[in-house]
Amino acid sequence: MIFEKKPTIALSGATGFLGSHLMASMLSEGYRLVVLGRSYKEETLKQRISKLLQWFGIEELVGQLELVEIDFLKPMLGIPEEEYKNLCTNTEQIIHCASDTSFSERKRDLVFKSNVNSLEGILEFAANAGVTFFHYISTAYVAGANVTVCKECLSSSADFLNVYEESKAMAENIIAAFCKKNFIPFTVIRPSVVYGDSHTGRSLRFNALYFPIQSVKYISEIYLNDIKNNAGKKSKQYGIFLDEEGFLFLPLRIFLPKEGALNIIPVDYFVNATMKIIANPSPGGIYHLTNNSLTKLEMVSVYNEQFMKIKGVEIIYGRSADNVLRNPAEELFDRFIEPYRSYLSDNRVFERTNTDLVTDNLQPPEFTYEIYKNCMKYAISVNWGQSIF
Amino acid sequence: MKNTANKPENEKGPYETARNCRHYAMCKIDFLGSGVCESGLEKHFVSYYPQGRMILYEALAEKKISITEKCVEIADSCNLCGKCDYQCYFLNEMRPTKVMEALKKHVGTFIANGGKVKPAKDDKILSEIKKIVGDNWATNDEAILITYSHDLSPISEPKTPDYVVMPYTKEEIASLVKLFNKNKIPYTLRGNGQNLLGFAINEGAIIDVNRMKTIEFDEKNWLAKVGPGVAAFDLQKQARERGFRINASEPAALLCANIMCSGIMSTFSTTYGINADNFIDAEFIDKEGSFFSLNDTSSPNLYSYKNLQHKSSPGICVSASIKLHPVTNDESGILVPFQTLDSALDFIKDCSVRHIGLALGIVGTEYISVFLSPTKKSAAEVKDIFLNKLGIPYLVVVIGDKFAIRTISEMGFPFFDQRLFNALYLGLPSLKSAEWLNLIKELSDDEPYSYLRIKSFADLLETALAPSPALYSQEIDPELRPFFEKLFSREEMTNLVWLNMNRIMSTKLGRRKPFLPVLIYLPIDNVLVNELNDKFRLIADKYQIDNDFGFITPIDNGKRCIFEYDYFFDHTNPEEINRIRQAATEVNILVDEYSKKTGTVKGHPYVLYQGFSRKENLLYS
Repeated sequence: MIFEKKPTIALSGATGFLGSHLMASMLSEGYRLVVLGRSYKEETLKQRISKLLQWFGIEELVGQLELVEIDFLKPMLGIPEEEYKNLCTNTEQIIHCASDTSFSERKRDLVFKSNVNSLEGILEFAANAGVTFFHYISTAYVAGANVTVCKECLSSSADFLNVYEESKAMAENIIAAFCKKNFIPFTVIRPSVVYGDSHTGRSLRFNALYFPIQSVKYISEIYLNDIKNNAGKKSKQYGIFLDEEGFLFLPLRIFLPKEGALNIIPVDYFVNATMKIIANPSPGGIYHLTNNSLTKLEMVSVYNEQFMKIKGVEIIYGRSADNVLRNPAEELFDRFIEPYRSYLSDNRVFERTNTDLVTDNLQPPEFTYEIYKNCMKYAISVNWGQSIF
Repeated sequence: MKNTANKPENEKGPYETARNCRHYAMCKIDFLGSGVCESGLEKHFVSYYPQGRMILYEALAEKKISITEKCVEIADSCNLCGKCDYQCYFLNEMRPTKVMEALKKHVGTFIANGGKVKPAKDDKILSEIKKIVGDNWATNDEAILITYSHDLSPISEPKTPDYVVMPYTKEEIASLVKLFNKNKIPYTLRGNGQNLLGFAINEGAIIDVNRMKTIEFDEKNWLAKVGPGVAAFDLQKQARERGFRINASEPAALLCANIMCSGIMSTFSTTYGINADNFIDAEFIDKEGSFFSLNDTSSPNLYSYKNLQHKSSPGICVSASIKLHPVTNDESGILVPFQTLDSALDFIKDCSVRHIGLALGIVGTEYISVFLSPTKKSAAEVKDIFLNKLGIPYLVVVIGDKFAIRTISEMGFPFFDQRLFNALYLGLPSLKSAEWLNLIKELSDDEPYSYLRIKSFADLLETALAPSPALYSQEIDPELRPFFEKLFSREEMTNLVWLNMNRIMSTKLGRRKPFLPVLIYLPIDNVLVNELNDKFRLIADKYQIDNDFGFITPIDNGKRCIFEYDYFFDHTNPEEINRIRQAATEVNILVDEYSKKTGTVKGHPYVLYQGFSRKENLLYS
């Protein structure tokens, strides 16, 4: 494998969903990577990365991958001076992918600590290393809640759907300001909602798109169990039954604030597009990795009906469920999807001029039943991530 | 000697089962409504209860004693009715009947083979004792003596008494005291011998008060005068029949002995108090054999408190007038989950200061999972669910009337009410396989336990778990399932009020292993509590002792709390006993340091024998 010509890239967040896929792809493409990370719950960084590489089927990595346990919040990334100097000398580019993706307001401090406060360490490292590019993996939703057209420029919004969007918008601005001041070329890569591989269905995370589907599946199992073991006593009360074709009729009205659709991209598209951006970046370039082919929730519901044999799901736009008498399944589902509700019927449009240019108009696929089926088959086979390793 | 505590119960032979008897005396009270060993009720000596037979069989198997006349009688008196299996399985997943069968077989084979039964020794003192209490109520038969010779204390050494005496009246006790004094025979009073401090074992004579079970209700004054042989559970039952409640410690604890030893405390102590709050008077026999009542002006002032460890007993308590508390018909129990000890402490302090709720107690996952689960194996799985899927490391048990429960709801705390508790309890087997729990934790991300706010969550939980006595009993030994199915059909068995006022919820805590509770009184100061909690854990970890947070109950309007941290030990493992001894010594030193440093921390050893003191004297002197 020839990797001498490729730059040595320091990658953060390699144990996360997007970061790990990037790591695998970059290694396959012959990049030399320095993974910056940390141990977690009894597992060293080495153990965590080994597991991931095994999952990706990557074995031979002689001299191509270096792991450094760091702490972004400590001076010199919390590593010995000599090691830090060597790291600065050897690093040519940085991809900062590490992020806390929680939407929870209760975790505001943690999210900001991870997504904003930790920037100082890695930006200082970028400056000390004199990198030729600093790539930041952000989110398409930094534009804010009340924007209809999202431009490929920095966000000045003060109105966000959640703390994650807010912290990422702030991080982009900090990075841009620092890099401009220190003459470090940078890019910002903004994916929308990412799901598994569009060809294999494989994924490492099962939130976002998966969560409502998983919720419907679990709720249906509760009632199927009631029908099977308890003569459907509870199910009957709410008009839930198993029809002659073996479909579970589960009246489930999903109330969404406005008409809209999901903007979802598969992880393989994210990786391919990002690789193209990294191979040919424009200084200060901001890239939306989004889908022009939107996915209506009704479509996902049709897929669900076919795949999971569940009928009765109804999507209702523009109405609040507040004054509607709901059955227990609806109440539980409502709670489950609450953090994701706005993304299920989003109507923001994303500018893709920079992206289309740098990726030779590479587009994410439409979310077809085939893709849905592959993704859900895989999700179920690994128990929604519970038994992935 | 093999260690047997962790061996699956169904693989244990009778000897191993006998060795694992917890000595909690729960086979002496009818807490399941399934009846109590008939021979025990007739003969009263602990030797005729399953607990005594277990100890006796262990001693015979270890060839510590010979087969005596009483040994034959004890073996014969068991009719193998199996009641002890119900009780012991509920608590410890143990089945003593196999020990009873082995005992009968052992004795029967001995006699069939022409073995010579050892007769009782002639003894002048024994004759004198019998003159006081009657021939049937005093003995020096070693089969009985051995059953009074040890407890599970990792600290005390076994001691075999010379006599066991069972008086019926206080006058008999006074005469016995004089007799023993005259003959320089040490004597020790014994209630049900549950303490883990070796208090009820000694050489000389053991005075077992289990025949003295008189209860006189004075409903006009909300009082019940009890003899020294009355167990908390029995008085509670009778009090409830009259529309009252007492503050009760462990259900098998004898009230007078309990007050003598450390004072009555429970989660209801939040409202009903501790120590002298629980009675209005008590009658004693002093060391000379004379009577005195606490409220006599000339009596020793037992309401005072001295900060002395290892005090001796002030005398023998022969009756106590216990306070009865009124009960309203709108009481219920709830469990309020918390993610941190700090938030749970804030909650109980707030409730206590505002006088919300009758009973309050923070419990950990070990406590709740052991109680909910029918077996040890299941308890470990349930603990994992509570911690990792439901994200509940701490729960606050609250018993209160409808106004208290409504107030807690208005305070904004989501909780498991009685209906949800029923579903969790009787649906436990389904809970363990419930995949939807994976989503519950995520649901709590933004607001902890927000799923409990779903109006129809109880309905969903019932649908998902399909709780029923039959389902719950699935994990129980097949032979015992019909009994347990019937048992759990009874409302009180899942009723949080009943379970707490009878202290049934904590009775299973020693199922995995017996435990040594580290008990202290201290202010509800989060920093201090957390500091001590961490230090207790570190000491236990240092000596490789299983340990867990026990409970915290606020007392005295939130000014102080009772904090229990539990050290679990295998009493059949000498090496582990050695380690827990070292750990206990280190804990005592630590508590002493904190007592001096803070002036507000009081360790349990300093309370012993001073359970009659006023809490104001105990806590603030």
